[in-house]
Amino acid sequence: MIACDIVLIGVGGQGIVTLGDLIGRAALAANVPVSYVPTKGMAQRGGFVKVEIRLGRETVGPRVPEHGADLVVSMERSEALKGLRFVRPNSRFILYDHVWEPTGVMLGKDDYPSQESVLETMSQALSDVLVLNPDNRPIFDDRPVAANVFTLGAMFSTPILRESIDPRTMESVLLHRWPKASEANLAAFHSGVQEGDATEYGFSQFSGGRKS
Amino acid sequence: MGFALIEKGRDVNKQILTGNQAVALGALRASVKVVTGYPGTPSTGCLTHLLTLDLPDRHVEWSSNEKVAFEIASAAAWAGHRALCTMKMSGLNVAYDALISIAYSGTNGGLVIYVADDPGVSAGMPEQDSRGFALMSQLPMLEPATLAEAYKLTQTAFELSEKTGSPVFVRLTTAVAVGHALVETEEAIAPKEIEPILERDIARYTKAGSKICLDQHQALIDRLNHARRIIHKMGLNRVKLSKEPGGLGIISVGATSTYMNEALALCSRLDASEASSSRVSVLSVRTTIPFPSEEVKQLLGHCETILVLEELEPHVEQAVYVAAQQLGFTGSIIGKLDGTLSPIGEYGVAEVLKGLGACGLSPVASGGKPQAAHNEPQVPNVPAPQESATLILASNAGAGRPPTVVGPNGEPSSTVLSSAAMAAPRPITVCAGCPHRGTYLAIEAAIKQAGFAKDDVMVTGDIGCTILGMNPPFNLIWNEVSMGTSISLAQGYVHAGLKTPVIATMGDSTFFHGGIPGLINAIQHQVPLTLVVMDNGWTSMTGMQVNAGTDDAFQSEGRRVDIEAVIRGLGPDRVEVVDPFDLNATTKALTRCLAEPQGVKVVLAQRECAIQTKRRGIVAEYTTIDPDKCILCKQCLRVTGCPALSVAQDSIAIDASLCNGCGLCTEFCPTGALSNSRAEGGAK
Repeated sequence: MIACDIVLIGVGGQGIVTLGDLIGRAALAANVPVSYVPTKGMAQRGGFVKVEIRLGRETVGPRVPEHGADLVVSMERSEALKGLRFVRPNSRFILYDHVWEPTGVMLGKDDYPSQESVLETMSQALSDVLVLNPDNRPIFDDRPVAANVFTLGAMFSTPILRESIDPRTMESVLLHRWPKASEANLAAFHSGVQEGDATEYGFSQFSGGRKS
Repeated sequence: MGFALIEKGRDVNKQILTGNQAVALGALRASVKVVTGYPGTPSTGCLTHLLTLDLPDRHVEWSSNEKVAFEIASAAAWAGHRALCTMKMSGLNVAYDALISIAYSGTNGGLVIYVADDPGVSAGMPEQDSRGFALMSQLPMLEPATLAEAYKLTQTAFELSEKTGSPVFVRLTTAVAVGHALVETEEAIAPKEIEPILERDIARYTKAGSKICLDQHQALIDRLNHARRIIHKMGLNRVKLSKEPGGLGIISVGATSTYMNEALALCSRLDASEASSSRVSVLSVRTTIPFPSEEVKQLLGHCETILVLEELEPHVEQAVYVAAQQLGFTGSIIGKLDGTLSPIGEYGVAEVLKGLGACGLSPVASGGKPQAAHNEPQVPNVPAPQESATLILASNAGAGRPPTVVGPNGEPSSTVLSSAAMAAPRPITVCAGCPHRGTYLAIEAAIKQAGFAKDDVMVTGDIGCTILGMNPPFNLIWNEVSMGTSISLAQGYVHAGLKTPVIATMGDSTFFHGGIPGLINAIQHQVPLTLVVMDNGWTSMTGMQVNAGTDDAFQSEGRRVDIEAVIRGLGPDRVEVVDPFDLNATTKALTRCLAEPQGVKVVLAQRECAIQTKRRGIVAEYTTIDPDKCILCKQCLRVTGCPALSVAQDSIAIDASLCNGCGLCTEFCPTGALSNSRAEGGAK
């Protein structure tokens, strides 16, 4: 059994908690031991959200150790900085580079970190960073595909997660979870996997440099 | 929430549950008859789950507060049935007045109190350790480390309660309560069909007189000792001694046990069972109360050094010192009292490693590539030599570490800490379309209209969503203490001689929970103040529970209590009932109250929670922006802070999926770019 610790980070409303549930269901279907704990704080929407997932361990404490995650995923640029306490130099980090400005930033009262400064800080902590450009999401039924399922697809381009859970199991969970939206969700998932496969990890090509 | 029964055998279901659900299903398996509680993160999910099930012959309710809830459960148990009462740690403070008396009386049917503590504070409120309450009331408290244990120990708690005649606590901490994992459960068992016990015995059921109380005190002590013997026999507190005497003995309490195993594996690259065969002995504690004296005695007699791992206060550790003194133990005890570990915050692997480090144990490098480590069964991802620096403790750490190493005491490095601080501040605020937004804006406007400065007017706050007025852009509310406290705090400020008006704010659920006595006091003593009750019809912050004021349509077996009638019945000097979306009328009502120097004024601001109206698809109006008229002054955003508004290229943008057409933003647009229209058909 492969042990894999994952931390998902984002903002309430992005579907982070749903991602945790989906991976939980897939682990259950794949007969992989799973523990996951969402942290939502008090906000219904717009606040910091985190899910800690531990795959492949029979009995385990729910919290991922600091500097202990195999994979950290942030669906928001600024919040990504809060994920760095979980990484070690050989962790993988996926940044879905969405910018969700808090009101204080929109009003010019607070600063919002630039992509450059976020990635510069990250580069001090680890080397395997995959930056997903939200604009690269394909269109399905006249709309960009769901951001969280797209990100889920990119997560399944990482070897560690693929070895824990077969991507086909994840697909079948998606199909059963929302039968009416199955086509749209599969499109989102597959495009995420492709995007992950096609994009180089690392800091030299920040805006999603593609493998030739 | 739990889902997907994938494997349903004859008797056993395997499903992913939360700790809260595991407690709920454990109680059903244990034939619970009556379940009561009051919502409070992280405990809410237990009773919420029961309310989703069809449970004939059982009674499940959200009570008006934890004390009421506990009293109901207690009487059901006195009458011979099994009863469960659920609450967060703060709720135990409320229930405690009744609880200590019932502890002295004991119980007939199994009586279990499920309390969830919140080390690390995920949801606000003091980081209190409820084990202190169990110590004071001398009631057994079971502390499951995992979700599977939560399911089993809940059943154990009912059995223990009936065998000893004592109420029994089950205590979870946040990560176990709201965490999800695979749990094997068995079919629920229906409550016993018994005639309720009617026992006239004032020596047991009253506190009338010294003899009665002294006898009850002795009985209380006897029950706890009885529980200690049963728990020892059951082996709930598991001790595993190393083959050779001496070495380290680790006591891990509740949830810290799992992290202990993980940290030990990092240190020794052995799993816990192998570790125990070397020079490490372990005692996994599941009951701080009763203290496992026999097991601790074994450990002290065997080991040279003792490490105590427990979150929050050093209750076990202090008892270990006492036991050490009694036994003449001469080794060292590592924990909080020697300054190694902190009573503050949630524990994880890092804290355990810190404790182990103080005992001379450090993580060992795997020597292989990280990927190789993943393929070894049961071995956590031990970092390669270079990476292992991130886990090595002070005693072993040398120079030349990568920039991400943890600090000398296991804390995150300054790089990582400062990077989190670089993130944009994200203060929580009320939702788009929240009626409280209108109330905050009206209070602010009324203070101004009455001729006062905002910083001169005390606005006391209460628990729940209503407290969000403390944050930007409102910056209105000054304090938050406990349920219903705002009205009493306000009276204290008046008596202290404030020359400016004093305003108290609270929600509907808080009003019913603990606000009414304070209001009665204000009226009786004629304290000049204004109370604003922000009635949105739901207990919202904990995720939409029904309270006494919730509409009849959502009351499962009871009916709505008319909050306005309750307020008027108490006889305040003025009552104003307003719709907070009508900013003008709400401001005027508040201004009238502030202008009256005497008497108790109550403003009842009524409008249903926006999340609930949205879920039911009730949208009467919608707000639109005319980009040509918008001058991007951002006044709408500055005043309302509404999450549905954002700054687009050339104008403000409205997120139609969030906006529910409250129209508050339109009131502040200087150019008329924002306007409200009636939705198709009025409501959809």
